Amino acid sequence: MKKKWITIIVIVVIAIFIYSSIKGTYNKMIALDEGVKSQWAQVENVYQRRADLIPNLVSIVKGYAAHEQETLTGVIEARAKATSTTIDPSNLNAQSIQAFQQAQGGLSSALSKLMVVVERYPDLKANQNFLELQAQLEGTENRITVERQKFNNSAQGFNTYIKQFPKNIYANMFSFDEKAYFKAQENADEAPKVEF
Amino acid sequence: MIMIKKIKYILLLAIIPINLFAQNYPDKPNRIVNDYANFLTIQEQNALENKLVMFSNQTSSQIAIAVVKSLDGYDPASYAFGLGEHWGVGQKGKNNGILILVKPKYSNSKGEVFIATGYGMEGAVPDAIAKRIVNNEILPYFKQGMYYKGLDEVTNRIIELTRGEYTADEYKKATSSSGSAIPGIIFFLIVVIFSFIGRARRARHYAVGHNVPFWIAMGMMSSNRSHGGSFGNFSSGGGSFGGFGGGSFGGGGAGGSW
Repeated sequence: MKKKWITIIVIVVIAIFIYSSIKGTYNKMIALDEGVKSQWAQVENVYQRRADLIPNLVSIVKGYAAHEQETLTGVIEARAKATSTTIDPSNLNAQSIQAFQQAQGGLSSALSKLMVVVERYPDLKANQNFLELQAQLEGTENRITVERQKFNNSAQGFNTYIKQFPKNIYANMFSFDEKAYFKAQENADEAPKVEF
Repeated sequence: MIMIKKIKYILLLAIIPINLFAQNYPDKPNRIVNDYANFLTIQEQNALENKLVMFSNQTSSQIAIAVVKSLDGYDPASYAFGLGEHWGVGQKGKNNGILILVKPKYSNSKGEVFIATGYGMEGAVPDAIAKRIVNNEILPYFKQGMYYKGLDEVTNRIIELTRGEYTADEYKKATSSSGSAIPGIIFFLIVVIFSFIGRARRARHYAVGHNVPFWIAMGMMSSNRSHGGSFGNFSSGGGSFGGFGGGSFGGGGAGGSW
């Protein structure tokens, strides 16, 4: 009689232990996953911020440098392409991130071309509004760098967590996939450097 | 007892998150003005320190100054954000910190200065304003070698801009435990069980010795105990710096070189 009770208690304790370990792991994965998603939203935010600055920038430059129509059109087109490339945050795999990065990289290089062109117009460079836009643009590029870095950190935290044993079994069970990273690109994604 | 301590340490180690991407930043200091390059005299450092600690205690916003010998190959902006984040300038949740990073001019390298604004300060000090402050209030003085004057002016300007943005409401540390709860609960249970056992044992002794019922002795023990060690509170007023509060940086700010 006594033995039977002990067996039952042991089984119950083991069951509770297994249940709570799966529950804890699953909840932690959910929390990390949400963390990565919200960090992705931050990344999109700062890219959007850059896109929002461009119409003002283009209209100011147009006022001083109407001849540079080609460069300006390049910026506008790259912006349209960049803002139309969005990713579903539940699908942060390597392909989607690369496509996103490519579209944004196109805008970055169009912008840096514009900033080179601007060098030829001293009046424009002395314009107060232009200077402020330029400061905002630089700040936005910094924000992009920071948020991308933070995204990579949180994606790495998530990946490390789900790949460890025995959590990888649970991750498979609940189909949590590895997150992709932002990769440093050659030239394409370089922030427009502006010298005074 | 030793057993409890051991378990405690093991559990603590398990909870502490491992900081990936850690760089060689200076350790979190207990001053708000940190000059690692002998850029300012001790008196100048103390004058700035007093002003900024007072501002921090009044408003909970923190304006930190760091002067470093080298940026370790990073551009000033990245270094400033990383250092601000590493130190946690500003309060957690409000992110109301500003870090003024200076790398002095040496014979082989330009001087660099960068004002990094925490997330919560981007409204009070937008990038364009930060740029203007750098160009108008810092660089003209730094170019003439008037380093203290430049830093004094810039901190005055930032104090003007950010005063009123945040108030020093009784700042309570956000008890955010986003990590897995299980180790916490186990830890908690172990602590409770052991302290309960210890207390019960002593209560039993006490009850036997003093002829009081066991449960009354137990109650007396717990009321005695509650006056025991209290956690180091966030110090306020009094001009002492309570430490950085865990603010976060998102890339706002502007800089320049001379």
